[in-house]
Amino acid sequence: MTPSFRRHRRLRPRPASAPPLEDGDLLDEILLRLSPDPSSLPRASAVCTRWRRLVSDPGFVGRFRLRHRRSPPILGCFIRDKQSPVVSFVPTMEAPNRVPAERFSLQLGGRGPITFLDCRHSLLLMFLPYWIKVLVWDPVTGDQHRLDIPPGFDTKQGIGGAVLRAAGAIRHFQVVLLGRDKQVITACVYSSEAGVWGNLVSTPLPNEVPVDFDFRGVPVLIGDSLHYLITGVCSRILEFDLNKRILTVIAGPVDILDVGSCQSTVMRAEDGGPGILFKSDCNVQLWRRKIDCDGQASWVLGRTFELDTLLSLNSEEKEPTVMLGLAEYNNAVVVQTVAGHFMVQLESLQFNKMYEASSWHFHQPFESVYTGETSIGGGGHNGAELLHNT
Amino acid sequence: MATREAGKKMIMLKSPDGMEFEVEEAVAMESQTIRKMIEDDCADTAILIPNINSKILSRVIEYCNKHVPTTGATGAAASDTVAPAALAEDLKIWDAEFIKVNRATRFDLIQAASYLNIKGLLDLTSQTTIDTISDNSLEEIRSFLSTKNDYLPEEEQTIRRENQWAFQ
Repeated sequence: MTPSFRRHRRLRPRPASAPPLEDGDLLDEILLRLSPDPSSLPRASAVCTRWRRLVSDPGFVGRFRLRHRRSPPILGCFIRDKQSPVVSFVPTMEAPNRVPAERFSLQLGGRGPITFLDCRHSLLLMFLPYWIKVLVWDPVTGDQHRLDIPPGFDTKQGIGGAVLRAAGAIRHFQVVLLGRDKQVITACVYSSEAGVWGNLVSTPLPNEVPVDFDFRGVPVLIGDSLHYLITGVCSRILEFDLNKRILTVIAGPVDILDVGSCQSTVMRAEDGGPGILFKSDCNVQLWRRKIDCDGQASWVLGRTFELDTLLSLNSEEKEPTVMLGLAEYNNAVVVQTVAGHFMVQLESLQFNKMYEASSWHFHQPFESVYTGETSIGGGGHNGAELLHNT
Repeated sequence: MATREAGKKMIMLKSPDGMEFEVEEAVAMESQTIRKMIEDDCADTAILIPNINSKILSRVIEYCNKHVPTTGATGAAASDTVAPAALAEDLKIWDAEFIKVNRATRFDLIQAASYLNIKGLLDLTSQTTIDTISDNSLEEIRSFLSTKNDYLPEEEQTIRRENQWAFQ
């Protein structure tokens, strides 16, 4: 029955035939597949000491984050106080995944309000005008890094920024700062690993972009490039290639403006490329950027829908509707109406009512896995001040 | 057990309890561990697979047979006329049936998938285990997975208190 073989090869046996849940590597594989919902790891921690050790191991945390990098749940929204340096949190998930508001609230020293610049990969980036610094905050661990603004940036002219972690990074992060001086845009990248700001990168803006434009809205990371909508009476997108460190200005759809009752934001289109959401009263248009076989870019109008119809708003409730924030990985927008706040997913058009309170503040959705105690950055670098759990 | 087909390179896998399985090389190479052995070596080889008994090894081969890329005549899914989405759906339904096994067999399959480095099978078996316990209480999880609670009562209380919201 068995043909004869010149040689028999033998795989090296496993060291011991332990059941999978006794084998650390296999248990790691299994627990890695826990849902990204925030209750997952705290509950796993309570099973036994070995599970707790495993899910709080920095290597596991890095792999868990990496696994859910493109699909973190929306834990809720951050809202800043307009008078004082206070950040509050509004949870949006149901129990047992409803992280309480006080878990992610932040009270900073100094005076005046802070400015949200960006939120990505479980980190929130803020500008602190009182201190003239930017702050990277990890709401889950509570770690804070305050960074000096690098030379060459005039924060009075407006400032933009982005924060991100490299895929698989456990502690380290990067901050991109954007500034402008008349018709020149400047970018600079801070790496927590190197502990320093890199070289300034600049690009002139087209003449039709007004000098008083602001970095409104938040950037969206598409591939290895950050995309910012330059808002105002023109339609341009600022693209920053993180690998090549190149700034470019690309044209948006010509008839997209952001004035009066209109709002727009960069978003990730259904094909994964750059897209723009344009809202005029209740009408929402989703555009995507298409590159043809000759490399020519054009904008294509995709889905359109009416917010009042979708949300079943009656005639008194449909004015005004305001877009207050974007969750870039979930492709969902926060919309405020007289009837309350809604989170609308732009592909499925499914929505849920977040709460009824009337708050017209900018909402920064917090998309993150909940991984427990792992500090960020590493600390001890020039220009960064690490304040653990303050 | 597979039979030799014309033009297909076959390989013999042996389990420690003495059973032998003749499979297409492409099917065996669904295991990255075996692939590496074959690529590092010349052909005409029988491979002894320690620790995986014939019952589990035959299930693993069944899985690999179904999941091997469909360029050859390895299954019903090998038609050019079937859309990729339909193929994926077919595989999903097949996987769901395949994994309807008792807990001990599933754990054996997890170990085999890990040892032989078959990513799809490891995903399927591990995810099914997690899905089974995800809605259960801690006591049910411990009981299902035969895991002993080694916390002192006050330690467990402290851990629950740290993130009380997660236990509501």
